[in-house]
Amino acid sequence: MNYALTVLALGVRGIVFGSVLVASTQPVLAAGDAVLGAKVFSAECAECHSVKEGKNKKGPTLFATLGRKAATQPGFEYSDELRRTGWTWSQEALRSYLSQPTKKANPGSKMKYEGLSDSKELEDLISYLGTCK
Amino acid sequence: MLIFLRRHLKRLFMTFTISSGVGVVLLLVSNTAHALPSFSQQTGSECAACHMGSYGLNLTPFGARFKAGGFVDSDGNGTKVPLSVQLLAEQVNPARGPTQTRLSEADLYFAGRLSDHVGGIARLSRRDDGTTVKTTLENVDLRYSHDVKWGEKEAVVGLSLNNSPTVQDPVSVLPGRGFSAPSTDGTLLNPASTHHLANRVLGLTAYGLYDQTWYGELGSYRSMSVSTQDRLGFDPAGDPGKLSGTSYWRLAYMKDLKTQFFSMGLVGFNATRQLDRSGPSDGIKDIGVDLNYQYLGTRDHMVQVRYANILEKRNYGSTPASPFIPGLLASSTGRSRDQTLVLTYVYKQTYGLTVARLMGTAQEDAVRFLPYGKPDTHSTLVEASWIPFGKEDSWGAPWANLRLSAGWFRFSKFNGSSTDIFGTNFGSGAPLTNAKDLNQFSLTARVAF
Repeated sequence: MNYALTVLALGVRGIVFGSVLVASTQPVLAAGDAVLGAKVFSAECAECHSVKEGKNKKGPTLFATLGRKAATQPGFEYSDELRRTGWTWSQEALRSYLSQPTKKANPGSKMKYEGLSDSKELEDLISYLGTCK
Repeated sequence: MLIFLRRHLKRLFMTFTISSGVGVVLLLVSNTAHALPSFSQQTGSECAACHMGSYGLNLTPFGARFKAGGFVDSDGNGTKVPLSVQLLAEQVNPARGPTQTRLSEADLYFAGRLSDHVGGIARLSRRDDGTTVKTTLENVDLRYSHDVKWGEKEAVVGLSLNNSPTVQDPVSVLPGRGFSAPSTDGTLLNPASTHHLANRVLGLTAYGLYDQTWYGELGSYRSMSVSTQDRLGFDPAGDPGKLSGTSYWRLAYMKDLKTQFFSMGLVGFNATRQLDRSGPSDGIKDIGVDLNYQYLGTRDHMVQVRYANILEKRNYGSTPASPFIPGLLASSTGRSRDQTLVLTYVYKQTYGLTVARLMGTAQEDAVRFLPYGKPDTHSTLVEASWIPFGKEDSWGAPWANLRLSAGWFRFSKFNGSSTDIFGTNFGSGAPLTNAKDLNQFSLTARVAF
């Protein structure tokens, strides 16, 4: 019985741990509206960023950003400060990074952005970025 | 005396015809139209990122910052050739006179970055106005810029070596980068006035853009010698004269809200001028105010309203006598004013409509402004345009762009009158020229690559 309980407990733990692992490594769409997020992207991001694969502008392409390790888009020269973070662009990381001025989020970053204060627009944007892959 | 009057009016007519009249739409639009593929290749950004309407004239806030930053932003992907070409063909249908169809302009642009801190733009233009063909060097703006920290804020500081005061301004409202009011006696800063400074002077200004919000600039200019102007392709008759003690200053506040942008500013230019290069000097002070609002939204519907008002105060060094009225002298002081009010709508960065009201007015002077004592000129431009390319997914991006437009230019007043604008019917039996006779309709195609 004890053995059976132990196996069950391990199994539950394994499922929970596995779920957390999946959540932290796989892109999952945010609760926002991706269609509206495309409009937010046009207004806030499109001058410096493309979502086309391999298309870098003043900023790197945001193609397949969700789940990607920061500063790893090929063909773009990132700041040392962003390279050193070791971040992975999870929803939470994007939420934190984009909701404040980049000079606070990542001092020394090349990106100059004042941050998106509207939380609904931010969720829409993250949702849209999740579709760009 | 009649000979004097006829000579004056002939010179006035020739000046207007050559520099402003027949090619007036060309002057107002193409003289400032840059949406250069070399910039697009350098930055990786499409033309529409910097220009409302994807081709020339109306800078977005992003375009304004690119300019203030010294034209040096890039995609970091190697060195690009900083050269572009623009061809302009048009069919001009004047209210009076034959329809003309011609390849009216071919431009070779230097436009790009030379290093992390040095960039610029300059245009070598071969222009056919239907009467003459000239090659000129225009709109030179070479920059050194540097990013600096100022407390908690960031700023860009730089130098601009340029040949047209206001052409270097980051907000496309002032005459050198916006619209110019056709005028026979406009301000020095107005490229459409008779003895304007544009392309005929050389100056160095220092500027700073603090926190992407406050813009300040200070500099000085000298006029090129008449022979240098001639070598650069400009008619010596348009010489702005010998300038000394010049100062140019600019202060502007701008706010980029991403979906909206507005700016307001002041501009000034002071100079002592010897129009004939020797003899009496005129003291000239220009001061202007400008307002600009852009609704950008999601870039599907964009609207821009801009207004500029430049007042020029003059203290003349001489007061010539009237050749017609004994004892009447010209005034020792004068005022001239240029105003432009422009409304632009752009749909999906592809279809554009612009309505511009352009007015040049001046203080009355029966001796200086023949034959009516006032040189006032009022005109209206309506232009519809189609820019099929210039977006990120466009054909030919970032190598090519195209702009097709139809423009209606109407004069309600010219040289102080709506009728007999040159006063040529003083018993001579010569045909009258009314302001509306200068109207024109034109179809224009611009190609950039």
